[in-house]
Amino acid sequence: MIDTAYALGALAAMAAVTFGLRALPFLAARFLQRHPLVQRLGRFLPLAIMTLLLTHTLVGSAKGNPVGPWAELAAIATVLALQWWRRQPLRSILVGTGLYVLLRNPALTP
Amino acid sequence: MSGKVIAGADKAQRSTGTRLVHCWQLSRFTPPTDCKCFMSDTPPSTPPALPPPISVLSLSVTVAMGYVPLGMVFGFLFVQAGAPWWLALAASVFVYAGASQFMMVPMLAASLPVASIALATLVVNLRHMFYGLSLLHKLPKQPWARWYLVFALTDETYSVLTTLPEGTRTGQMVAVALLNQAWWVLGTLLGALIGAQVQISLVGLDFALAALFAVLAVEQWRSSDATAPLWVALLSYGVALTVMPQQALLVAIALSVLAGLFWPKTSPNVAAP
Repeated sequence: MIDTAYALGALAAMAAVTFGLRALPFLAARFLQRHPLVQRLGRFLPLAIMTLLLTHTLVGSAKGNPVGPWAELAAIATVLALQWWRRQPLRSILVGTGLYVLLRNPALTP
Repeated sequence: MSGKVIAGADKAQRSTGTRLVHCWQLSRFTPPTDCKCFMSDTPPSTPPALPPPISVLSLSVTVAMGYVPLGMVFGFLFVQAGAPWWLALAASVFVYAGASQFMMVPMLAASLPVASIALATLVVNLRHMFYGLSLLHKLPKQPWARWYLVFALTDETYSVLTTLPEGTRTGQMVAVALLNQAWWVLGTLLGALIGAQVQISLVGLDFALAALFAVLAVEQWRSSDATAPLWVALLSYGVALTVMPQQALLVAIALSVLAGLFWPKTSPNVAAP
């Protein structure tokens, strides 16, 4: 069970952080628009951070997989290829996750 | 994706790549080309002085196709992890940020400190900071409408708002944003209710988060004018994993930020349509 008070505290923190990030440009527009370092980071960070989050999540999944990272690699390659080719995020996510669940649950395969 | 946005509104408008990325986002499951298609409901020949009416519902339906099923997956996973259904609902009403909501499920289940969860949220949602810069002059002035739209600035809603023509009424903007959040909340509720009834012991459903990050990375890569951030990130992660495996993500982010600070200020091909 997840403790309710603890979960509410975490949700409040997440809500505050998320709203703060979304509101920051409206509060500090002039600074952000003029500061060259911010602009550089704005061009550099989104792809870098998304790559890191993806890698970190995959490494986490692979650590929990006793037979090696093959299921993770196959599923993520599927997602990347589908998204690159068809650009339908929902389909990419559902197909990749479905494949991963199939690979990790031998009981499901006939 | 938002890299170019920061350089200012007009640049963002010039760069279709930037806007397209957002079309799909969290879910979305609307490829950028589709966004264009449905924008072209309104013939391009229409004089810009008269913004053609765009049906709020038609803009929001494509978002719904992504938000409802993904919201269901979130609600389902959260309830299966041991949360009551109303907590899942509260997350979608008050946090309303897809990727970080998925991310928090295993963290809450493992009772990690609130500070760690807040820090992870900061990292996952950092890109949202760059969205507002291209919308500074477009969002309505009335405080209630403006601040609700700021709160509701998910990737998908951002893409829809940038699609709306100049001069769109405040009520329409708020209606689109509210509808989008309603889809997400509805999906969450459905998933949570199902999750509370069924006990499924499937390993790997949480792979949805990795898949979501993969989709986001592909779209960021597509809109990026360079691939260096990708290689820098992989290299940083490799170094961090070797040096401090317990804190690999944080160390890797720090290394990437450092590299980003030395990134050239202007890019050679920004002007290319």
